[in-house]
Amino acid sequence: MSLYDNTTLESLIKPDRVHKDYYIDPDIFELEMDRIFSRSWLIVGHESQIPKPGDFLTLTLAKQPVIMSRHRDNSVHVLFNRCTHRGAKICNKPSGNSRRFECPYHGWAFHTNGDHAGVPYPQRYSNGFITDGDFDLPRPPRMEIYRGFVFIALNENVPELSAFLGPMQRHIDNFVNLAPDGEVEACAGMFRYRFAGNWKIQLENLNDLYHPMFTHASTTGEDGTQFRRQGAEGDEAGKVKLLKENASLNMEWENQIIGGHALGHTYMERFPMDKENSGPVFSRYRNSMKDAYGDAAESNMKIHHHNSIFFPHWSIQYMTQHIRIMNPISVDCTENIIIPLKLKGAPEEMWYAALKSNNNSHSPAGMVMADDMDAWTRCQSGMQAQGNDWIVFARSIGEEKIDNNGSFTDFGTSEANARHQHKAWLSYMCGNA
Amino acid sequence: MQSAIEKFLYFEARLLDERRFEDWYNLFAEDGYYWVPGAPDQTDPYNSVSIFFDDKALLKTRIMRLRHPKLHSQEPQSRTCHYVSNVEIDNNRGNGSEIFVHSVQLMTEFRLDKQTSFSGRCYHHLRTQKSSYEIISKRVNLINCDGIFETLTIPF
Ligand code: FES
Ligand SMILES: [Fe+2]
Repeated sequence: MSLYDNTTLESLIKPDRVHKDYYIDPDIFELEMDRIFSRSWLIVGHESQIPKPGDFLTLTLAKQPVIMSRHRDNSVHVLFNRCTHRGAKICNKPSGNSRRFECPYHGWAFHTNGDHAGVPYPQRYSNGFITDGDFDLPRPPRMEIYRGFVFIALNENVPELSAFLGPMQRHIDNFVNLAPDGEVEACAGMFRYRFAGNWKIQLENLNDLYHPMFTHASTTGEDGTQFRRQGAEGDEAGKVKLLKENASLNMEWENQIIGGHALGHTYMERFPMDKENSGPVFSRYRNSMKDAYGDAAESNMKIHHHNSIFFPHWSIQYMTQHIRIMNPISVDCTENIIIPLKLKGAPEEMWYAALKSNNNSHSPAGMVMADDMDAWTRCQSGMQAQGNDWIVFARSIGEEKIDNNGSFTDFGTSEANARHQHKAWLSYMCGNA
Repeated sequence: MQSAIEKFLYFEARLLDERRFEDWYNLFAEDGYYWVPGAPDQTDPYNSVSIFFDDKALLKTRIMRLRHPKLHSQEPQSRTCHYVSNVEIDNNRGNGSEIFVHSVQLMTEFRLDKQTSFSGRCYHHLRTQKSSYEIISKRVNLINCDGIFETLTIPF
């Protein structure tokens, strides 16, 4: 029995602050796995990570070992990575290609769609035991693919994916429609790292415009300009200028629109100082977009957001062109997966620029992520202190413009998005989401 | 030449351990680059992510950052020890003025009461200068290049 009934859970979340146990209590973490991660749609990755029949990759998601595989008929499958005989992990490699999966322990075999393919020496089983039994690799109760992104749910009774995403589905469309071919491709592998902090600290950070000028002070030069995160040489396409003039707090940040939708999803609109692209490469891009979309090209090319944060554990980052998966390992350990995505049909130079941008800012040696992770780790260890139980999120409280569908907007360095995530957390945890 | 090359690689390693980052940066040729691939057997920096893929301009930015008073991820600073060994000159490549060198490297890093080690094979492409060499490229193939990392700040 959990120590947490709904009243106790509610007492952790106040309008302008949350209790430190929200981040540091292992019992809360276990409850989250059950009530949040087992009751929402989780992202596994993108189907282009396994382009060819027989391709597979493995990962641990919400503590579950899973395989994502492509069967010989090209269908994509998500399977639990667990032999139906005595439970051994079927695939041990992070990725690979296999005609079928064979368990190393006693040789039970499975097709790449998870169907049981047979056992060695079946005659010692009683008649019909193997043939009539269900020994297929177990599957998560729900799986959906939307525009190439692969999702699972660990519980049958989740809302449909489109209802879960709500207005955020349009954010996925906006991103994928930036590609002349209407598809994105994960063809450059991924970065993986870990930090000693709770997953929700990072989730909040993704909304946080209050921190860049302090946490990332070291990424700005003497003139106050942030290093150019990337650019295709001699071209504006793909250039990312996070801080225009000064690393100090300025009104441009405060004009930034932020907001969110039902079920804890949030977003930040495109930074006002982030200039429109131009240059010869970008003109070629515009031409391919016109060829592909005609009149819709200009609106499809528009980048609306800086990022879109899908509760509970992933985001699209438009400027660096990647998806980021936050994978909780324990109450004080979170794994991060960063998967750069290519806009299919766009000029190669734009992809190279995006890839370099990912290297520069979001590799484990990246000049942005290192400082973020340092800050999150400090939060986790600082919160262990006695004497103050509360973590404060009071900035611009009450300023949010809220509508009747659970959506809201606010501006700049407001902590409204984090507060929105706290409310969604509470509603999941109390069984109301 | 073997011993001159070894001396150069030891010197390079010492510059990093002594946090003489600007001096290390100055070893690179104007068109030089520093590359730590993110995938094993990566043939091209553009077919996969890289942990570092810095041309000289980016390397300069990186080093300016390492000197920045508000570089929080270097508070406290890392202490490192770069070991260089198994130095071999590749006789099948290069010419009079350009030399290809294979070596292995182990970097141990100490920060916040934790000691971590990184190892891998290094490939230096060097150009002979009057009295020394300049680095056209340095590639470090970490054995854990596609593994799970914590933050990295000091080059290998
Ligand atoms: S555990 Fe897989 S065959 Fe026995
Ligand atoms: Fe940040």
